Amino acid sequence: MKSISLYVDIQSPIHSIDPITKLIYTLVFILVPYILPHYEIAISCLILTLIILLTAKVIRQVIPIVSLSLLLISTIFIIQGLFYPGNSITAFKVIGIAFYHEGLRYALGISLKFINLLCCSAIIILTTRPSDLIEALVRLGLSPKLGYVMSSVLQIIPQMTGTTQKILDAQRSRGLETEGNIFIRVKAYIPLLIPLVMNSLIETNERSMALEVRAFNSKHRRTFLFEKKTSKKMLVIRYLILVFLLGAILWRFIK
Amino acid sequence: MERRNIWSLKFSTISLALIPVSVGINYVGKLFASTLKLPLWLDSIGTVLAAILAGPWIGAISGLINNIIYGITMDAVSGIYGITSVAIGLTAGWLAYKGWLENWWKAVGFGIVVALVSTVVSTPINIKFWGGQTGNLWGDALFAALMGNKVPLFLASFFDELVVDLPDKIAVVLISYIIYKALPKRLTILFDDQKTQAL
Repeated sequence: MKSISLYVDIQSPIHSIDPITKLIYTLVFILVPYILPHYEIAISCLILTLIILLTAKVIRQVIPIVSLSLLLISTIFIIQGLFYPGNSITAFKVIGIAFYHEGLRYALGISLKFINLLCCSAIIILTTRPSDLIEALVRLGLSPKLGYVMSSVLQIIPQMTGTTQKILDAQRSRGLETEGNIFIRVKAYIPLLIPLVMNSLIETNERSMALEVRAFNSKHRRTFLFEKKTSKKMLVIRYLILVFLLGAILWRFIK
Repeated sequence: MERRNIWSLKFSTISLALIPVSVGINYVGKLFASTLKLPLWLDSIGTVLAAILAGPWIGAISGLINNIIYGITMDAVSGIYGITSVAIGLTAGWLAYKGWLENWWKAVGFGIVVALVSTVVSTPINIKFWGGQTGNLWGDALFAALMGNKVPLFLASFFDELVVDLPDKIAVVLISYIIYKALPKRLTILFDDQKTQAL
């Protein structure tokens, strides 16, 4: 069944790093350019992240992620260049309409942080299996019930997408019009969604019984099938990243 | 529906099992909308339904997990708006409890309130990350026009988001209302923790 995840299943030094370390890296390196809003910081974070993505051999998959946002970024430049409240120094003119320095610089700051955000999150999205990440969180103490809830989303969505096609065909064969003007299409929406919701709720009832039979509500500590030890190296890296974050926060308060 | 305490943190297994299903309904709701080429996202029907059936906390958790899962598998921007989904779930659960699903008109009001809450929570995020824009063509065009007329940033950004959220959330709530009314009582009662525990 097709998964909704964009995970790229290859071998690389980054893929073998444990998910928690990558999660800490991603969160910290997204936050730091917002804590210290200088271009140099955002650019350095971005370059470091791009190096990591190159090492992970997933640069090719990063390109669609970033290019989808290029339209938004260009509108940000246009709108801020024209209308940013602090505008005063003209940068250039197009057909007599002035674009201002302050707005363009503001737009540059936003765009750098945004692209950095997309690339850092690509480390999670492209090199970390979602199920591995969820399992790592449960090992750290996340409630196993929440762990189940999150993992099952990854299985339920492809399942429901499959049922979608069946329902579409079934209703069409019963005379449901799905093409035509907007009113026809709007009227088709409910007859498609109701069977889906009803089926899903009935399944939910069965699923919950299966869970209870398998000791879902047990208060005992869960055990894991595989032993996993975090290497000393990874712990050091995690602490270094967190120290970096603390440093950034302190710097912000000192300046 | 009378509930002794919709804010109870004791969740039944079936309410927890509802959470991934509501994420699925969110996903398929959006899929049907784009298959039928409708001009709305319709991606929060599952969250609202979960809130109506099982209360505000389950609605909020459904919304949060929806955005977190999208965030770690496809699109980090969804992850950031997780807090908006939480607000929608909490609001929907509260309004459903207060009887705002009794008739069509109240349901429209329900939709308007959800739209306002969603807009109010999303606007600071839009401002911090994108200077007030939302990425939607019509909304951003309105934003540009308002900023050009020296309207304060938070107002311009608020209307940018509202223009997109109002029709979408009203539609989401009305659709959830129709679906809820169409569900048989023997299904809806399963998620009502107070009644099932009394059995």
